Amino acid sequence: MSSSTAALGAPPRRRRSGGSLYFTAGILISAVFVLPLAWEVLRSFQPASAIISPPSLKSFSHLGVSNYRQLLTGQDDILRNVVNSLIVAIATSLLTSIVATLAGYGFGRFRFRGSGIAFAVVLVGFMVPFQAVLTPLFLELHYLHLLNSLIGLALFYTAFNLPFGVYVMRNTFLQVPRELVDAAKVDGASTMSTLTRVLRAIVMPGIATTFLYAFLFAWTEFLGALTFVTNGATYTLPVALSNVETNTYGSVNYGYLVAGAVIAMIPCIIVYVALQRYYVRGLVSGAVKG
Amino acid sequence: MALTAHAEQLQSLPAEVPARKGRTKLSASARREERTGFALIAPAIAVVAVFILFPLGFCVYISLTNWPLVGPYHFIGLANYSALAHNSTFVQSVLFTLKYTAIVTLPILVIGYLLALFVRGNRFGATLFRTCIFLPFIVGITTLSFLAEVELQPGFGSANVVLSKLHILSRDTVWVQNSTLALIAISVLVVWMASGLTMMLLMAGMQGISDELYESAGVDGASWWEKERFVTIPLLRRSIALSLIISVVGSFLAFNQFYIITDGGPGTSTVSVVMEIYETFNTAMRVGGASAMAVVLIVVVGIITFVQFKVLRGEDV
Repeated sequence: MSSSTAALGAPPRRRRSGGSLYFTAGILISAVFVLPLAWEVLRSFQPASAIISPPSLKSFSHLGVSNYRQLLTGQDDILRNVVNSLIVAIATSLLTSIVATLAGYGFGRFRFRGSGIAFAVVLVGFMVPFQAVLTPLFLELHYLHLLNSLIGLALFYTAFNLPFGVYVMRNTFLQVPRELVDAAKVDGASTMSTLTRVLRAIVMPGIATTFLYAFLFAWTEFLGALTFVTNGATYTLPVALSNVETNTYGSVNYGYLVAGAVIAMIPCIIVYVALQRYYVRGLVSGAVKG
Repeated sequence: MALTAHAEQLQSLPAEVPARKGRTKLSASARREERTGFALIAPAIAVVAVFILFPLGFCVYISLTNWPLVGPYHFIGLANYSALAHNSTFVQSVLFTLKYTAIVTLPILVIGYLLALFVRGNRFGATLFRTCIFLPFIVGITTLSFLAEVELQPGFGSANVVLSKLHILSRDTVWVQNSTLALIAISVLVVWMASGLTMMLLMAGMQGISDELYESAGVDGASWWEKERFVTIPLLRRSIALSLIISVVGSFLAFNQFYIITDGGPGTSTVSVVMEIYETFNTAMRVGGASAMAVVLIVVVGIITFVQFKVLRGEDV
């Protein structure tokens, strides 16, 4: 930017003031999107009694971690639900990445009869919204003894992340130079060692994209978990929070709710900020979870 | 819901298949390639078949029966479907979902477009602003709904406190007891969350437009507005279509925000279609009825997705 403006001969002084105007506007716009989230993080350190009194400067004088401590050790025992969510999210993203990588390798690098039909099957999966097939899936998972099961939930999430993952991985393998695969073949490398040794570095960005989307999906998904898990010990974090919200013990503890929501928010932000260029890759490849 | 843009690549694939369909004998290495390729895709196909395709077919099957949770069932033809037309809560949920979609779609597009204009360049800070604006989408509607639930509480919710200081609303306003206020609150939340996604999609499209086009437009004496009007918008048509369809499909499938913030209330005035399906199955346990609603939803979403493929594949209109 600065070099092209300089090339056009813009007066340096005007350029600097234009840049700081842009930066100021950017900070203000960003604040609209970030401040409410930061506000909630601050709120989560207020004692529950301060949250339910109108915000004032005084209500921020006794910040502490009491919500978190009670939430993670008290009768609600959210810690177990956080662990459940982590197990499901990690299992889903690992399983999706592995299965999608194998399939992407197959679709992108091998010629075989029926590959067109098989890829069409994957694309049909793209078009089925999971929200619409929860009723038959409930009956199916019941029959398979996969209700109230973290494994069942992870399989369900994997299935609905696979079409996107296979699509991304197929495109990734299609971009691998033909010569590289041929050279590996000449060297006598097996199919699997070609994948794990020769192609690993090249396809890693695709795998990161697949992993990231699957992780964020599984960590934040609510409706499926609400439908397939009815046993408190197996609840994922969002379902546990919806139980805090509709507390059967009497009044809702809003301190728990805010602190729990902040716990749910943190991994998303960390994982996204660390891997955001892979997220943008997924967007640019034209496929999006919504 | 997932969508795809590389439709043109799909067309090239089947072209290879007919050539190999003949009964010609394959060489040993070609046969090995066939077997390996098939083995590699088999796990993905199996998972998709078991957890997506089977439920899809099963859904249609159930929708044609009077399926009870226990005991025998029999076929009742299209009775579940014709009952939908007389099911006032279902019709209401469809109308409500359409209304909600109509309210949020344009603001998401316009705000997303303006944000994309703002962050598309390489100016100092642009990357940081992108990340910040996109954060609410990454956090996700479920978590945001729990937080909104707190901040919309009468007396102490931040929204109530701020709006009462501005003399817009009473601090004791109970948002969820008024269907208009509830819809406004949820719409603002969703527009705030989803604009970042539209921004990212449109920004990616804008960055794909060659600088030379802007330069030659500049040489022709085009103003900033004329460059936007005659270069950016026409070349962005596909990205705009993609982001519109993603946001419309997302609105059609909305559930979390309504379930968490309003629980469909007051009464059943903010029940979305997906929530109605959920309630019909989980609360009323009418499996056949819920499945018929689901089939209708799948068809509608399928039509939108198909139109998207058409738009993305086709030439500029």
